[in-house]
Amino acid sequence: MKIDMSIRTRTMLYGLMCVLLIPFVFPTWWMVTSSVKPISDIFAFPPDFLPRTYEWSTYQRVFELQPFAQQYWNSGYIAAIVTAGTMIVSSLAGYAFARIRFPGADAIFMVVLLGLLIPAEVTIVPLFQMFNQWGMINTHWPLILVPVFGAPSVFSTFIMRQFFIALPIELEEAARVDGLGRFTIFRKIALPLAKPALSAVAIFTFLHSWNLFLEPIVFISTPEMFTLPQALTQFTDAYGGAMWNIQLAAATLTALPVLIVFIVAQKQFVEGLAHTGLKG
Amino acid sequence: MANVTLSQIKKKYGNTPVIHGVDIEAADGEFVVLVGPSGCGKSTLLRMIAGLETISSGTLTIGNRVVNDLDPKDRDIAMVFQNYALYPHMTVETNMGFSLEHRGGSKSQIAERVKWAAEILDLSNLLMRYPRQLSGGQRQRVAMGRAIVRDPQVFLFDEPLSNLDAKLRVAMRAEIKNLHRKLKTTTIYVTHDQVEAMTMADKIVVMNAGEVSQVGAPLDLYDRPANRFVAGFIGSPSMNFIDGVVENGRFTAPGIDLKIPSFTAGETSRQLICGIRPEHLVIGGEGISAEVSLVEPMGSETQVTFSLPENTIVGVFRDRIAAKPGDVLSLGVQTDGCHFFDPLTDLRVE
Repeated sequence: MKIDMSIRTRTMLYGLMCVLLIPFVFPTWWMVTSSVKPISDIFAFPPDFLPRTYEWSTYQRVFELQPFAQQYWNSGYIAAIVTAGTMIVSSLAGYAFARIRFPGADAIFMVVLLGLLIPAEVTIVPLFQMFNQWGMINTHWPLILVPVFGAPSVFSTFIMRQFFIALPIELEEAARVDGLGRFTIFRKIALPLAKPALSAVAIFTFLHSWNLFLEPIVFISTPEMFTLPQALTQFTDAYGGAMWNIQLAAATLTALPVLIVFIVAQKQFVEGLAHTGLKG
Repeated sequence: MANVTLSQIKKKYGNTPVIHGVDIEAADGEFVVLVGPSGCGKSTLLRMIAGLETISSGTLTIGNRVVNDLDPKDRDIAMVFQNYALYPHMTVETNMGFSLEHRGGSKSQIAERVKWAAEILDLSNLLMRYPRQLSGGQRQRVAMGRAIVRDPQVFLFDEPLSNLDAKLRVAMRAEIKNLHRKLKTTTIYVTHDQVEAMTMADKIVVMNAGEVSQVGAPLDLYDRPANRFVAGFIGSPSMNFIDGVVENGRFTAPGIDLKIPSFTAGETSRQLICGIRPEHLVIGGEGISAEVSLVEPMGSETQVTFSLPENTIVGVFRDRIAAKPGDVLSLGVQTDGCHFFDPLTDLRVE
């Protein structure tokens, strides 16, 4: 009887999950299938589950209309540098806030956290003026420096701090008795143990940088310097109308690394959040 | 190996004093146990010896070298923590050799020392495992291995057996004692378990509220507790305490009239606390008439709780007792079984 109940409950749960899946899966499905449909079929009603004809040339057109490979590279290398930079900055800062008692540590941490409350739109104009003075407009520097030292890094610092606080202090004390100094303890004991939190930070940061939209459209002005989210807005015809199938092909290519990162690192992502006590 | 001397050691957190001027001497090769209830300052004291807590005042000497301001790494000590503190991302072998590696030992030297320690602690077949793959007892042995591999002058143990089950604790107790016999390294061991202290120590330091209550050999503490706290702390079940009057060589209290040979017959009347260990009560003796309120047969012994007009006392007897709750029994006390304490100072009265 108990088993019957369990099976019934499980079936209901799976059914519910399938229903909940629809709003998440449908847009992706629509994007992928529409990217190979003729433009006239995209908004046909009722929509076709699968394309009637496949137009693979849309993917070729993506690379003809824009320097898409260059833009792909731009997004990739910027995301890689931002991810590495944020991991370094947030792990060091998180460790300092968690373990080093210095005067005003809590107050400084609160000030740092306050940075999360300020929307990017509020700071974008002063940031533009600052980078303009530094001669960094239409370079990738703002897209690297803002995330590494701005709000995304603050969030990562918070994640890392929470992780390091939860790390047993005895491990560090044992390391002190073993003869390690503060930085070596960080490097050889704390950091290797922080892999789950670092993975979460890496994924968050990579996705954030990859999807960054406001900063590129403010700081970058030439197609060769564009990143992918910005490039997606450029697939229009001479009258400003969207070239839907080509744009969706570009969107599919843009979403691909994100999906791969998420599928590959899903476990670390969940573990990392669980370790830092941030799971919902 | 070295002697460890604590001289007027004090510790304050802000304005709150927690250690109030402690003097302890651990001779070269001695096994000293710091014992006391939770919060008495024993772990803080051990951490001060390790260099993990600063010393507010006083002098700490290890091997005739004042180490107050030295880092833990420069004190030539090794510490075993309560939760073992093994590095989870390192194998047993790496854990054990880590400090040597960091101190610049050659690979062959490290391998040799780790092999030596692993053989002593029966860890040779576990060297490639990670801490998560070990049982509690194995982790404890690895923690000890990590400590001995460096051949330090002093071992510090901070309640190392408190996470183990009762059976394993007994086994590990013997193992630590054997290890000490083999290595003869000066050891300072913290525990709140008086049985652990009694069975392992050459010298016990009983601590209470940041002060040393008594220092001595285990049986000295049992036989001649210096004050009421030590008398109650050492021994299980705890000593019975009865308020009464000593006069003319007799101790009297409601339900009690005991002849005290150790007190002279001419002693004038004096209010004292009489302490009697449960195992020193004798059924069928003279001096105490008590009603049985609880009988707890343990197999090898029987624990009986008695009600007196103003007190409850506990007795432990090797024999099986047929008495039932409500029975009134005559009890006596073994020779020299009475300890007396001043009710004002709690100090022992001879």
